Parts: sequence; C-alpha cells; structure tokens
Amino acid sequence: MREIAGYIPNIGEESFETKVLLFERNQEIIEVEIPILTNEQMSRLMDKIKHSSRKVLKSFSVNELMNIIDEAIHRFLDRDSFYRQKAEKVLPIVTGYDEEMIRLGLTSYLKTFRKHELQRFLVEDLGNPLLLDDFQPRVKGGFSKAFSPDLITHIWSGNVPGLPLWSFISGLLVKAGNIGKVSSAEPLFAGWFAKLLVEIEPRLADCFAVLWWKGGEEERERFIFQQTDIVVGYGGNEAMEALRSRIPITKRFLSFGHKLSFGIVSKASLDSLKALQTAHLAALDVMRYDQQGCYSPHVFYVQKGGNVSPKEFARYIGHELEAFNRRFPRRKLSMAESMEMAAWKNKEEMNLFSNPNNEVLGSNQNDWTVVFEDSDLSLTPSSLNRVVKVKEFNHIEEVTEGLLMHRDYLQTVGIAASPSELFQWSHLLGSVGVTRMTALGNMTSPEAGWHHDGRFNVLDLINMVDIEASAQQLSEELAPYAD
Amino acid sequence: MGKFSGKVVLVTGSSRGIGAAIALEFAKEGAFVIVNYLKNVEAAEKIVSACIEVGGDAWAIQADVTSEEAVHSMIEQIVLEAGRLDVVVNNAFKPYVFDPEQRKMAWQLTWEDYQGQIDGAVRSTHYICQAVLPIMKKQSSGSIVNIISNLVERPLVPYHEYNTAKTALMGYTRNLAVELGPFGIRVNCVAPGLVYPTDASKKTKESLKELIISQTPLRRIAKPEDIAGPVLFLSSDWSEFMTGQTLFVDGGFVM
Repeated sequence: MREIAGYIPNIGEESFETKVLLFERNQEIIEVEIPILTNEQMSRLMDKIKHSSRKVLKSFSVNELMNIIDEAIHRFLDRDSFYRQKAEKVLPIVTGYDEEMIRLGLTSYLKTFRKHELQRFLVEDLGNPLLLDDFQPRVKGGFSKAFSPDLITHIWSGNVPGLPLWSFISGLLVKAGNIGKVSSAEPLFAGWFAKLLVEIEPRLADCFAVLWWKGGEEERERFIFQQTDIVVGYGGNEAMEALRSRIPITKRFLSFGHKLSFGIVSKASLDSLKALQTAHLAALDVMRYDQQGCYSPHVFYVQKGGNVSPKEFARYIGHELEAFNRRFPRRKLSMAESMEMAAWKNKEEMNLFSNPNNEVLGSNQNDWTVVFEDSDLSLTPSSLNRVVKVKEFNHIEEVTEGLLMHRDYLQTVGIAASPSELFQWSHLLGSVGVTRMTALGNMTSPEAGWHHDGRFNVLDLINMVDIEASAQQLSEELAPYAD
Repeated sequence: MGKFSGKVVLVTGSSRGIGAAIALEFAKEGAFVIVNYLKNVEAAEKIVSACIEVGGDAWAIQADVTSEEAVHSMIEQIVLEAGRLDVVVNNAFKPYVFDPEQRKMAWQLTWEDYQGQIDGAVRSTHYICQAVLPIMKKQSSGSIVNIISNLVERPLVPYHEYNTAKTALMGYTRNLAVELGPFGIRVNCVAPGLVYPTDASKKTKESLKELIISQTPLRRIAKPEDIAGPVLFLSSDWSEFMTGQTLFVDGGFVM
C-alpha cells in the first residue's frame, strides 16, 4: 500500500522530489511518500500562501470558517467516510497503536473541534469572536480588530495521531496562511485534513500547505522562518532550542517543548466503594497512547489514610493495566525500546534490596509496569509505554515541595479529590507551575479552549489593532454631514 | 502430545469470531478440527491453515446447520473421513444484531422473531445431536458443548428472542445430559458474556462495554480467545465427572 502524504497548492510544478518512509505492523506494510520542496519552490509556495491568505482567507467571516472546519470534522467523525476509513486503516500501521485505541481516540479528540467547541475556543480567548471580522466596540471606549499574520509555520510532532489539528485549526480560525511540517513519525493526518478542507471549500486551495523536510536543516529553516510571521513548534527541548536559534528576533516563536504530568489521588477517592473506579481511571490515563502525550502521567501521588492503601491502589492499577492490555494492546516496542524498558525495570528491582517496602509489579512481557514507592516523593520521569510509579503521601505540601525544581516542565495534573481539596490543591499546584487540573481519567483529553501550557490558543497568533476613542471623536468633526 | 491428540472435534460456525478461536485452541492441543462454516469459504480456509500451523489438523466443511439434510450429510462425511467424532461444539447461531438501542421491545416482537432464534439455537443443535448420537453411543464416549450466553442468567439487555432461545438451549442441554450420561456422553454449556470484537458485537457502544466492565470483577470484557479455555475443559477428560452444567465465562459478571 502506498500513501501520498502532505498537501501542496498548485505552484505550477509538475513534480516534486519525494522521500519514501516505510511503516510496518503485523506484517502489513505502508509506504508513505512525502514531497520535499527546493528552496526556490518553497519560496514560490510561501508567496502564494501569503497572497491567498490576504486575498481569500481574510475575506471569509470567522463563522464561515468555523462551518467549513465543522464540516471537515464531521466527515472525519463519520465512520463510513473515505478519510475516516483511511485513518482507521492506516494510522495503526503508521503509529503502531492498537486499532481500537486509534478509533476511540480519534472520535474523542475530533469532538473537541466541532463548531460549538470552536466557538467556545474563540470566546475563551477573545470574548467576542467577531473581533476577527471587523472592528468591534470596546468597553473602555474605542474599537478594536484582531489582525492575523499572513503566514504561520508549524513544526508538528508525531507522538499522538492528529495532534497537528490544534495549531492548524487555530491558525485557520485567525485567517492566517499556514505551512505545517509533519513529523516523520505520523506524516499523514494533517495532509488528509488539508485535502478535505479544500474538497469542502475549493477557494481555500492556496491558503495552506502540509509538507516535510528533514528536521534541523539549518539553512532551509532559516530561509523559511525569515519569511514567516509566527513559528509554532512542538517537540523536545533540544529541537525547540535549535528552532529558536534560527528564528529572527522580530518573529514570534511559540514553543511547546517537554512536559511532565502526573496524577494526585486523595484518600477521599480510596474508600471501599470508589477505589476500584479510581484505579480504572488512573490506568486509563496511562494506557491512552502509551503515555506518549505531554499530558500523560509519569507518577501517581496517592494519599494515605483511605480504606485502600496506596500500595493496594498500585496493585489495582496493575490489574487494570493488565485488563486494558487485552482490550487495547500496547504498541510493539522497538528492540532498543524493549531493552531500555527491561533495564529500567531491572534497576527498579535492584532498588528493592535497599527499599524492601517498595514493590515492582508487571507482566512478564513488560506490557506494563507499576512501581510502588513509600519514601521517595520526587517526580521522576517514567520510561513511558505504560510504566508508572505510585508514591504515597500524607499532606499535599510533601508533594508540592519537591515539584518546584520542575517548574518549567509541569503541565497536567489528573486529580481525584473532594471539592475543597480540589481548589486548595490546585492553588498550591498552580503556584509551582502546573497549568492544567483535570479529572483523573481525562488527562489525555484537554477540553476545547484549554490553555495549552498556560498560554492562549489564538491570542498569541494575532495582533490587536485599536481605534482609540479620540480618533473617533476627531473623525466626527470631519464628517461631511458635520453641523 | 497435545491434550486432544487423536481426537476429532467439530466446531460449528468456526470460520470467524468465537468459533474460530475455539477451533484454533483445539488445534494447538493436537486435535483434528472440523471447521464448519455457512458462507465464507475463504475465512474458513484461513482458519484451517492457522490450525495446521499451530500443530493440529483441520478440514473445512460447508453446511447449513439449520438444514437436517445438510447436517446429516456433513456428519456422514466426517465419519467417512475421520472414522470417529469425539467432541462437538455447537457454536453456530442465526445472525443476530446486538444493538441495545434499536432492539425490538417486548410488544414489537412477532412469533416469527422467536421462531427464527429458536430454530437457529435449538433446532440446529438438535439436528447435530441427532446425527452424532449414534456415533458417540457406539464409541461409548463423547462430549457436546453448547454455546449459550450469560444473558440467560441475567438479561442485562433483554434481547427477548435471542435470550429465550439460548435459555431453551440450556434446558435442552440438561435434559440431554440426563439421558446420555448412561452412555458416557456428556453435554454441557458455556455461557460467555459480551465478547468483543466479533462481527455480532462490533457495533456495541463503548458506554455499554464500560457499564459491563464496571460490574465485572476481572475488569474487562471477554475476547474470543477467553471462551476457548472453558470449552476445551468441558470437552476434555479433566471434566469427566461433569454433565448438564453451564460455565459462565464473563469475568464474574454473573455469579
């Protein structure tokens, strides 16, 4: 099977140089062909997109754009549609994730981009989404309009399928031209989405492109960023550092680098009735996309004093992970990943000699591993792929004390706690750098309009242009009908 | 030596789903498996190859188990080919869409709806049993396993006609067990809970699966492979003092 990745507007070229990436899962092989543009082609492409962004995209109302995106999302939600069927068939092979996980993950993820969610998205950032269409009256007096750049370049990562939609859709909503560089780990979804948008509204054909180049090609990236207004980057911190060094100081760079997320379980959710369901939710967060998301948990901090002890809770999570592994088997690991995981587990087992109260639970095939620790409360990164630590605590301060050193990396906390604990703990967690508190079991599904890493979705992509009240007053005197 | 080396096993409706998983497990234990199917010859041949690959022997045979004539001719062929028949698993059933949201309600059902399911479950099993009894009696041994459903004990979703037919099959099994015990023939049931994925359950909504899981001590729903173990147990001499029983294979949902 061969798939053509990416989407390129007509720039008068017959053919492009391409790179072929090979993916294999359960003896099924897919070749993905990605076009690679020369600098000269790239230059023409960027000119065309900027021009169309100005002439075409900006002539749409934000409501029209939401309708187009909504239509595309609904086609992807329809399991009988062409692109949905393609996604369900191809993405498991490309990403290695289980078919069922992809199917359910796609639906739950796509639902956050339907029209009503997009409206929420815009209201969250702008208050009045019409600011994107026209000058709107301000409470303080005067008028404002949100102007968007002509070109946003997105550097996407491929750890979770469909991830590019967040920034791609944000870019479209503010009426900016978009160039997206897909990751070689998941090069397809963004291109399908672009093609579908053009099928729905052919006038958008020249307003965006989805392509690929080898990450870290310094000269090429400098060349592209020079002509871009905003760069949005997803990936590891080193990659982000490198990107930053290539972006001119006058351009805006929004980077989403490494993050650490974890869960906190109050003793309130560890009574005889609720503990099992709590463990189910915790395991769900570990299972989804094998912890590859920035919002996936590395550690669960579990409070002592409930009917179910943190150690028993760790065993519950273990059994839930075992059950999930039957339903949604883990992605097959590469040899290197397997060895790394075995080494990690081995080290944890050696630690048992000095910490006899700890426990290392796991299946023989290392499909999952849960480590219980009773004394060390540090936030240690997991080796991922369904590996998690459970650490017990008495008071929340014991947990937050150790988190301060990770301030730059903290993101999501999945919480199962009483209402008063939720707000009290959120206050402390927010003060050490956490930006998102969500229900345990919901960590991998941020709600529409969330503040990714504490930032805004569209606010960072626009410039506000004000007409101050004084200008308006002065204009009144200059009206032809002024008395 | 597998547990079923030298044994001849018929699994009806085994080109896919639970039947296919059962056929494969018998083959792993060295059985000669007869893969009965209705329509999909390709799928059946695939299971045959898989059975041979894992160390058993297998043979695909088409027969509509709701036709007395077809059943007799199938059993004749088996005896002609294999010379004996040690185990029969009545797994085939009349296609039924398990759709909790669109199922017929009690007052919407016609007698024909019931009759269709009773024919699919009891009549077909009856034809098979009638055809194999002379052989098993002559052997003075044999094990028959009928696949029913845990819905017979707890109709979480009242699929009236399906559940009624499967409950009738449980009664049929018990009566047969009484009568055939003296000949050394055992008759038992395996009652799976919701099994996913199969063609019949592929449209089952996640919310129903989660509801079932939340009340299942072993914390998941069954996969086709999960059903095979208890079927093999009831087919083997490990269960030689059990007959007329129903084993629920649903992670403890029903107890």
